[in-house]
Amino acid sequence: MTAAGLAAIGAYAPRLRIDAEEFEAAWGRFDAAGVDEKAVPDADEDAVTMGVEAARRALTAADASGAAVAHLAFATTTPPMAEEDLAARLCSILNVPDDAKTQTMTGSTHAGAQALDATMDGGPFGEDIGLVIISDCPRGDPDSEVEHAAGAGSVALVVDDDGPGTVIERASHTEAYPGTRFRTGGDDRTTGLGVTQYDREAFTTTLGSAADRLDVPMETVDAAAVQSPDGKLPYRATGALGVDAATIAAADTVSSLGDTGAASAFLGAATAFADGAERVLIAAYGSGASATLFVATGSVPVNAALDGAAYLSYAEYLRRRGEITRDEPEGGGAYVSVPSWQRTIPQRHRLVAGRCSACEALNFPPTGACTDCHERTSDFEAVELPGTGTVEAVTTIEQGGAPPEFVAQQSKSGQFDSAIIALDSQSGEQTVSVPAQVLQATDEVTIGTPVVLTTRRIYTQEGVIRYGFKAQVASQRR
Amino acid sequence: MTEAYVVGAGQSPFGSFPGESYRSLFETAFERAVESVDGDLDPERIDEAFLGTLGVGGRQIGLSAPAVTEHLGLHGLPTTRVENACAAGGYALRSAVTAVRAGMADLVLAGGYEVMTDASSDHTKWWLGVSGETEWERLSGTTFAGVYAQMAAAYMAEHGATKEDLSRVAVKNHGNGAKNPNAQLAFECSLEDAMNAPSVADPLNLYHCCPTSDGAAVALIASEDVVGQYTDDPVRIAGVGAASDRVGLFQRDSYTSISASEMAADTAYDRAGVGPDDLDFAEVHDCFTIAELLAYEDLGFCDRGEAPQLLEAGTTESDGAMPVNLSGGLKSKGHPIGATGAGQLVEAFKQLTGSAADRQLAAPKYGLTHNVGGSGGSAVVHILEREAAR
Repeated sequence: MTAAGLAAIGAYAPRLRIDAEEFEAAWGRFDAAGVDEKAVPDADEDAVTMGVEAARRALTAADASGAAVAHLAFATTTPPMAEEDLAARLCSILNVPDDAKTQTMTGSTHAGAQALDATMDGGPFGEDIGLVIISDCPRGDPDSEVEHAAGAGSVALVVDDDGPGTVIERASHTEAYPGTRFRTGGDDRTTGLGVTQYDREAFTTTLGSAADRLDVPMETVDAAAVQSPDGKLPYRATGALGVDAATIAAADTVSSLGDTGAASAFLGAATAFADGAERVLIAAYGSGASATLFVATGSVPVNAALDGAAYLSYAEYLRRRGEITRDEPEGGGAYVSVPSWQRTIPQRHRLVAGRCSACEALNFPPTGACTDCHERTSDFEAVELPGTGTVEAVTTIEQGGAPPEFVAQQSKSGQFDSAIIALDSQSGEQTVSVPAQVLQATDEVTIGTPVVLTTRRIYTQEGVIRYGFKAQVASQRR
Repeated sequence: MTEAYVVGAGQSPFGSFPGESYRSLFETAFERAVESVDGDLDPERIDEAFLGTLGVGGRQIGLSAPAVTEHLGLHGLPTTRVENACAAGGYALRSAVTAVRAGMADLVLAGGYEVMTDASSDHTKWWLGVSGETEWERLSGTTFAGVYAQMAAAYMAEHGATKEDLSRVAVKNHGNGAKNPNAQLAFECSLEDAMNAPSVADPLNLYHCCPTSDGAAVALIASEDVVGQYTDDPVRIAGVGAASDRVGLFQRDSYTSISASEMAADTAYDRAGVGPDDLDFAEVHDCFTIAELLAYEDLGFCDRGEAPQLLEAGTTESDGAMPVNLSGGLKSKGHPIGATGAGQLVEAFKQLTGSAADRQLAAPKYGLTHNVGGSGGSAVVHILEREAAR
């Protein structure tokens, strides 16, 4: 299938930001041209949690639910686990049916384009939808251009048969250009050889060759969302792509979010559509090198949370990056095995509570005797909670006071609030209480504060990342 | 059913003792308990032992109680370890009373021990908070102090209590503990000190939290049949009550009371045939200062929401109508987890037998001990009576 419908786009970037001036103060220079500030993932954010944020927003904008997803493709150059099908966790968190086809694309910043390409090929979808989740948070050595530019962000595209948007054209080009941007096995730092002219040639030649295969006159596009490892390189491709600088600038995100890797061109498209563009060129490029161009048209609904809300000093930034922090301490005394964690995934990923068949009280987790009437009912009715609630009790766990499972998080992010939340039922008539961390907020969290739940890394043990829910002050949700 | 009596009780000092082991600390407590008996007590006559410990640090996890009794030379003694978190010692005591009342034993060794301060700070982190609900509560990033802090926040919101109210508990208990040679933090503190200490888990600061401690405590429980062989001024265990509740705070009916305490106290008062007004003093479980305020209400010393007023009026001071934690409480005396419940009994025994030295009340007849596990997942209350008329 050449064309596919584009029902909606969701976009997300972490609330934490750092200004380029912080780097200049620390290093005497800042090596990411065209980046004014950039997004920084918090200690409990990664490509999966950011992907969930974008996906939920895309589904909301499309007025669809995870249950409608027949094809899910996840793309990132920074998978939180190097080996494991992370799409399975995304499906679980987003309540995607267990017979959905899933794909995970990684290995270069071209992965996002591969994910959209594959999802389009997965149609026609009929009543169902395809969901493309592209999420990335690159990193490099602290003094490298890659690290100075490295931002974070995610974008999700809901693909269907009839829009309101349409991907009318796509074309690709692949040509071997080794050594422009790469990461060796086992390393978490992306690097490059810095052969300036060669790097530019790889970029422009690959994109230009793909552009030659498109049938769309470039002067008709309102915005060109071009792969942006920094704020300068995309403009080197004006000639190759046949677009002017203003058209590229109309889809700029790198100046405020930094290099968002595989999500880069797609985040540009999200902002362009949000700004009213009706014809957008998406020009995705991955080192190696490959490029794929898409032309998308129409009034595509966008639900984006891309604004920053808190600015970091460079020292705080180094803590968030884990450059100067510690890991979980040695020892043991309390332990939640992976199998016992896995049994609670419906609660941790999807807030599945249980209604007592004897007294109808909600139980969370739904196991054992009813917390309300104490009857031992073996048949709790599964009730999915909407994820809104109110703080009932709260404390602040001060720096140095976190339990060992949270030492790494606290080392990176500092003190945090831990609360008991009264979660609302769908009808709003009942509540059930759960303990949860509260994400850092600019306002004080007190008893009575309304919150919404979101998905974050809870902790990592024995190498296994465990995702679950945390609360976010409702008024701070972007 | 026979009555049960305390014929001896003793404790090691509570504190940090790198030169001591859980067994040597217990040996000290045992020797002091035996010495405290009016008459002569031959350890060979002990029929059974119940020893409480959480096992902080993971030293001798299995069979740690027999490891203690073998150290004392009590060869062949049936010995059971009791684990109920911070209430382990109190429940060990209750098990001893049960054995005596059931007629299975005439003389029972009850006690507890814990060593908490000899491990690396990393290792210790893993063991603090192990009595919270593990899968959900602990994994919301909270700690032992954090859960009590949530209760404090809820209590303050519900009743308009203040940090000053919390701090007053610390001032009172440090004042008492300063007179206790076995107390870990045996110094007085001012309200200003207690108000301005560094925050641990808001609203609780360092002075609102008990220390981590090493220590052991022992009580010797005798049946009606044999009590006369050891003393002619017996201290009777007039009533025992115990109760459990949800381990995780989030699943409880109330965040501003500990219903296990309330249930345990109701039972103990009922069995003893006395009420809160009959008591001359109480040793309550003040692992955090909020816990003492909740205890006043759960044990019926005052109505809901009135604990701060009771404290401020001086009622629970050492010279008040209802002195609470004359020993210094967990706050000042220390909280070696498994030893705490038995340690409370040591103070009650001293008060009732007139051996509390500088802390001695005039002529107490009834005393209460209140021992809580975790943040309220279990509780046990003992009411003690000095039978002789004053």
